[in-house]
Amino acid sequence: MTRRAVTFLVVGLVLALLLVFFVLPALWLLLAPTKTASELVSDSPLAFGSFGNVVRAWQHLTGFENGVLFTWLRNSAVYSIGALILTLVTSIPAGYALALTKFRGRKLLLTVTLIVMIMPSAALVLPIFLELNLAGLVGTVWSIILPFSFYPFGVYLVYIYFATSLPRDLLSAARLDGATEWQIFARVGLPLAKPVVGLVAFFSFVGNWNNFFLPYLVLPGSDQFPIQVGLNQLLSSTPSFNPVAGAGLDITSPELALAVIIAILPVLVLFLFSQRTLVSGMLAGSTKE
Amino acid sequence: MTTLVAAPDRPRGRRRRSGEGGFSGPLFVSGYVILLLAFGVLPTLYAVYLAFTNVRGQFTGINQFTRVFQDFRFGPAFVNIVAYLVIWLVLIVVLTVAVAVVLRGRMPARLSTTLRFLYYIPGALAGVASILVWLFMLDPSVSPVNWLLKALGFGTFAQVLAPGHLSLIFALIAFWTGAGGWIVVMYGALDNISTEVLEAARIDGAGPWRTAIHIQIPMIRKWIVYMAILAFAAGTQLFVEPQLLQTASLGRVSPTWSPNQLAYVYAFQRGDFNGAAAISLVLLVLGLIVAGLLVTRSGLFKVDEQ
Amino acid sequence: MKSPRFFRTAAALATVGALAVVGGCASADPTTTSGSAPSSFTAAPQDDSAPITVWTDSTRLPSVQAYQHAHPNVKMNIVTFDGSADGSTYLQTKVQLFDRTNSGWPDVVFASPTDVTWAAEPTSPTAQAFAAPVDEGMVPKSTLDNFAQGSLTPCQFNGHTYCLRNDIAQVVLWYNKTLLDQWGYQVPTTWEQYQQLGEQIARDHPGYLVGAIGDTNSQESYFWSAQCPAQQLTGPNTLRVDMADSHCTKMAGLLDTLVKAGSVTTQGFFGQSFAKTYGSKVAMAVGPSWYGQYLFNSAFKTPAGQITAAAPLKWQGDTRTVTGNVGGGVWMISSHSKNLKASTAVAEWLTTSNDNLTNAPTYPAYSPGAAAWLANPANKDYFATDVTSVFQQAANEVWSGWGNTKFSDATSWSSVVLPALTSGKTLAQTLPAWGNEIANEAKSVGYTVTTK
Repeated sequence: MTRRAVTFLVVGLVLALLLVFFVLPALWLLLAPTKTASELVSDSPLAFGSFGNVVRAWQHLTGFENGVLFTWLRNSAVYSIGALILTLVTSIPAGYALALTKFRGRKLLLTVTLIVMIMPSAALVLPIFLELNLAGLVGTVWSIILPFSFYPFGVYLVYIYFATSLPRDLLSAARLDGATEWQIFARVGLPLAKPVVGLVAFFSFVGNWNNFFLPYLVLPGSDQFPIQVGLNQLLSSTPSFNPVAGAGLDITSPELALAVIIAILPVLVLFLFSQRTLVSGMLAGSTKE
Repeated sequence: MTTLVAAPDRPRGRRRRSGEGGFSGPLFVSGYVILLLAFGVLPTLYAVYLAFTNVRGQFTGINQFTRVFQDFRFGPAFVNIVAYLVIWLVLIVVLTVAVAVVLRGRMPARLSTTLRFLYYIPGALAGVASILVWLFMLDPSVSPVNWLLKALGFGTFAQVLAPGHLSLIFALIAFWTGAGGWIVVMYGALDNISTEVLEAARIDGAGPWRTAIHIQIPMIRKWIVYMAILAFAAGTQLFVEPQLLQTASLGRVSPTWSPNQLAYVYAFQRGDFNGAAAISLVLLVLGLIVAGLLVTRSGLFKVDEQ
Repeated sequence: MKSPRFFRTAAALATVGALAVVGGCASADPTTTSGSAPSSFTAAPQDDSAPITVWTDSTRLPSVQAYQHAHPNVKMNIVTFDGSADGSTYLQTKVQLFDRTNSGWPDVVFASPTDVTWAAEPTSPTAQAFAAPVDEGMVPKSTLDNFAQGSLTPCQFNGHTYCLRNDIAQVVLWYNKTLLDQWGYQVPTTWEQYQQLGEQIARDHPGYLVGAIGDTNSQESYFWSAQCPAQQLTGPNTLRVDMADSHCTKMAGLLDTLVKAGSVTTQGFFGQSFAKTYGSKVAMAVGPSWYGQYLFNSAFKTPAGQITAAAPLKWQGDTRTVTGNVGGGVWMISSHSKNLKASTAVAEWLTTSNDNLTNAPTYPAYSPGAAAWLANPANKDYFATDVTSVFQQAANEVWSGWGNTKFSDATSWSSVVLPALTSGKTLAQTLPAWGNEIANEAKSVGYTVTTK
């Protein structure tokens, strides 16, 4: 059994290397706000500074443009959650129908979905902006929520999930029993879809929370920015990246790192709490075979 | 209910058996179709229109394309993105599947969960966040792995950012932020394979390797293809990372490093939306060719009818 | 296994392509203007009480807020953005989009000089140029005449002035007086003396620096000051790019010598580890007026009383001293503003009022304001000697031969020249590639490129 031992060792080593690759930069980020900007450069990269520095960075950060940070976080929450609800309402039934019913244009719909998913965003921003303007939505929360809620990725996830995990026999049986399509969806499809709902919800939320391009281009004012665009504004106000900025501004790398940590916290917490549902839940669908 | 129904298709009265959903299909997809038309199809069609016309709305044929092909930045940008895509696709497909298989194998459940969480952490760090982190990781004078950078012969940040290294750097950053999420998806897909199947394989004397290669991976083929298509599409659209690194590295990275950046420059710096649309269509066609190959080879669109 | 839809789509695309080849096609030329822009603009219906929107960067935000505070009855909507820092094109992007929707423009914006090059022209045949010509009855000529000589050049197109300069960043010679005195060196006045001293410091005090060329704007400190015609506008749409000119090769040779000697580094002053490694070793630096506060004081934390500025360097034998310029913002007024009166008042106050300029973060372009700024001890306390005359003189010596082009001069320098230097090439070897990149960029935005 030495071969097994070698395999075990190699696999363990690869996992450990990946662990370092994934975690080390994040660890550095976590430690960054405990240092001052100059300590960040001069001290050992993984040394701990002091909590006093964290407090100071926090004060600088919340003092930036009268606490606009909180506005950005609230905006992100409104955009992401609003879009998430619309995404779930539209993509779950759509993926279900694509997988388990037959109708004209089904294949076309799948193909078109795939094509627009591949379309580069730079090309779509102008038309989307013009549409939003036509509808009088520019500058409103809908100008972000509506484009965000179009989530072909989620439709595909649901589609693949139902196509591979929900036995059609179950549906046929329900249909023979005289259930309407809506009843079948609500009583058979939805309960089984719980894990994929979690998956779509999670990826949609994270995707929207982290989306930069559309809000960057579409939103007119900084008090409407979501956190990602706000971080960009912080970056350009940091003397290290914009030497002429910074008279009276205290935004340096530690403040930026702290802002980044605050910005990713919701996503990490969400992941921590939903991971069980995300993964173990997918098992629920495996009645196949 | 909309244009989809009107699309001519093969007569399929014969195939429409009772118990396949009737009208519920179109109804169920209607909400999504509205969004798809508004934010997917119409914008794409408008982009196509732009790519074949000029600023005065006159039809230009392929002139926009020949014009952008002749741009001195076009060739380098595509060379960059192709190199990036190759590295990125190999990394993401090979490593995520391999890691998911290992994590799904005989490993204490708690360890597996913990590892998945730890691998996922960078997934929350997109855009500005990841650039801030990597700016420090890649600078030999402040990096926690400066010994590694120095061993590779890089003494300064500028040397790390030599033009030849950028494809690899962006692929690493993309892998760093993107892999965790896909590991979770792959793990979930593997979890979906019933234990009886795996048990049967084990009784037949298949080891973990053979089980993985002959049973697990073929069974999650759809997910792998799906991931490959999306990873490829996302890769062709690379924008935020080079753009931010350009700012943060004080200009060492060309502002037109990737084709999507070039399209952005066309659109928003020169006001040349037609040229930008032409570049985007080239990217789209590239993505479609790869997606088409993957889809036709894997039968992703087929609903299993057994 | 097959997906006929794909092939059908492909066939459709191919058909479109074929049609395109067969049919007669219009030109894909994106040029929107036919040479001369309209001299005047059509103002929107005016309303003296209409609220105005002001876009500012975070550095200038306190000034705008101060104006609002002093003028509470002006309805102002203050928006912060990146202020076009580091070549950001946010403002340009947004104006492109506003031009398409015919609404949304801010009334007054802080911007970079590069922004004026596109703002002075319509972005599409149907649009009106974003920037209003301030010399057309908006700002009195007497006010415009008080800006430092040449400081409004980046604002001027087709004989009109499209912006008010906020600050200038005239290049001077920075040096550490304490060090130079201690070593017993004279402050150089010519480039030749600068080179000699650089070589001597490299010999006698190895490790100390007299300059750095690895920043995105180092070319403006050195090659602009050296009168190198890297991007000289000889006509509205003609750009002279001549790297073989002796001014360019002389400067390249000078820098190559000092890089080889070790007293000029190819790293950038603003690289994040520079302050840690070399911060205390900078004996001299050729750079803009804001280096004093932002580089030596904030970044290097050099104690007060050591650093000061000397007059810009010139070539031996030249009678006239000229210098470069590194940055400096402008304020533009939107030609779409519904309240030009209030907008002009804000822009004028920000750029010419002593109330604002006395405490401005950088050197004001408006000469009376600059005098007030220099009279404020807070702006000079840090320096070892009085920099007043050096700053004032250099402000009027900025060479006008380095054109404010539609593309940023930072791109070619940072993405072509700097990587080449990092890989060990000399500047002299890299000049042709640099010129080539500038020429390519210039052509791509519609300039005719010549070498004379």
